[in-house]
Amino acid sequence: MNAGKQLKDGLLTQNPVLVQLLGMCSTLAITTTIANGIGMGLSVTVILTLSNIFISLLRKIIPEQVRIACYIVVIAGFVTMVDLLLQAFFPDIAESLGVFIPLIVVNCIILARAESFASRNHPVAAAVDGICQGLGYTLVLLAMSAIRELLGSGALAGNRIFPAEYSASLIAQPAGGFLTLGCLIALMQWAQRKVKGGK
Amino acid sequence: MSREKEAAGRRPGASLSIDPGYVARIAGVLLGICLMTALLLGVVNSVTRPRIDAIQAEKVRAAMSQVLAADEYLPIRLQKDLRGVQSVFEARAGGGTLGYVVQVTANGSQGEIRMMVGVDVDNRVTGVSIIRHSETPNIGTRVVADQSVLDRFVGMSHENGEITVNSGSNRFDGISGATVSSRGVAAGVNAALAAAFEAASGLVE
Repeated sequence: MNAGKQLKDGLLTQNPVLVQLLGMCSTLAITTTIANGIGMGLSVTVILTLSNIFISLLRKIIPEQVRIACYIVVIAGFVTMVDLLLQAFFPDIAESLGVFIPLIVVNCIILARAESFASRNHPVAAAVDGICQGLGYTLVLLAMSAIRELLGSGALAGNRIFPAEYSASLIAQPAGGFLTLGCLIALMQWAQRKVKGGK
Repeated sequence: MSREKEAAGRRPGASLSIDPGYVARIAGVLLGICLMTALLLGVVNSVTRPRIDAIQAEKVRAAMSQVLAADEYLPIRLQKDLRGVQSVFEARAGGGTLGYVVQVTANGSQGEIRMMVGVDVDNRVTGVSIIRHSETPNIGTRVVADQSVLDRFVGMSHENGEITVNSGSNRFDGISGATVSSRGVAAGVNAALAAAFEAASGLVE
């Protein structure tokens, strides 16, 4: 297994959001402020890595017929753990992410990586995959939330850049999420084509 | 491994014979994973539960003293079940009643808004504090996270009927673009005023 290639896959060529188009719901919903974006991205990274490791360890025990049920139990267990830990130790983040933490259970990035990678690979490779895919997800959330927070409310990480009166509040609303995501996906496609064409 | 049995079970037209040992193996693995997860969750819960409870209790206490500062808050039970009213406390200081602090749950645009409302003995709002909400950042939060907006409720009462948003004789000026959140908070204040009125009228258990 090649960790460098896995990193490149996670961040760029197989980016979970921009290329695999997974986890759209949370990407659109929580990227209104940078703090939310980072909080959600890191939470998903931690859960993804843990569930990848455990599913990889259990891959020879889990019967094929009930594998999805087993994956969901493992994932839901880790999500609940992270939710409780956030509430206990980082109440501010837990409050601003609200219902989206429990909803990580149905974030398809995690189930997709469990099914397509962790269940077929060694735990170490699965852990690296979890971290790389998680970082790719976090990076996209960071970009989305920076754009939306700046244009939608005129601030960046809570610091005012220009008066809120001049901001386009549409960008902070759900429709703006689709617009921003669409532009980022288009940019990614363009960049990938350009790199391929250059070879 | 029982790969052959699995394949046989899937073949169309094959007689349906389920090997009990095979079913038990699948069920056993699933049960084992569930038990392991439950055990881990139990451990995490036992560590985090006291902290979470303490944080919540601290928030409620802070909200109470913010909306109506008093020496002690005595929980009281109303005879009537009012919609959205979670709990009512009598705020006391120096042996006298200052008013009532009501914890209410109202419907916002994204979910419940849990809030604390202070009401004095003349049945006027002394303060509103949001304990927990899930409103949209930069939209709903312009109501629920902006104390200067919440403070517009201070001094309002039910003398001229219920508080209505942007209309009527007992008017609360909401935030444009955040109408649902504004209405939610106003509904919560209305419920709290009704509860405080009941409490002040002695309709308690």
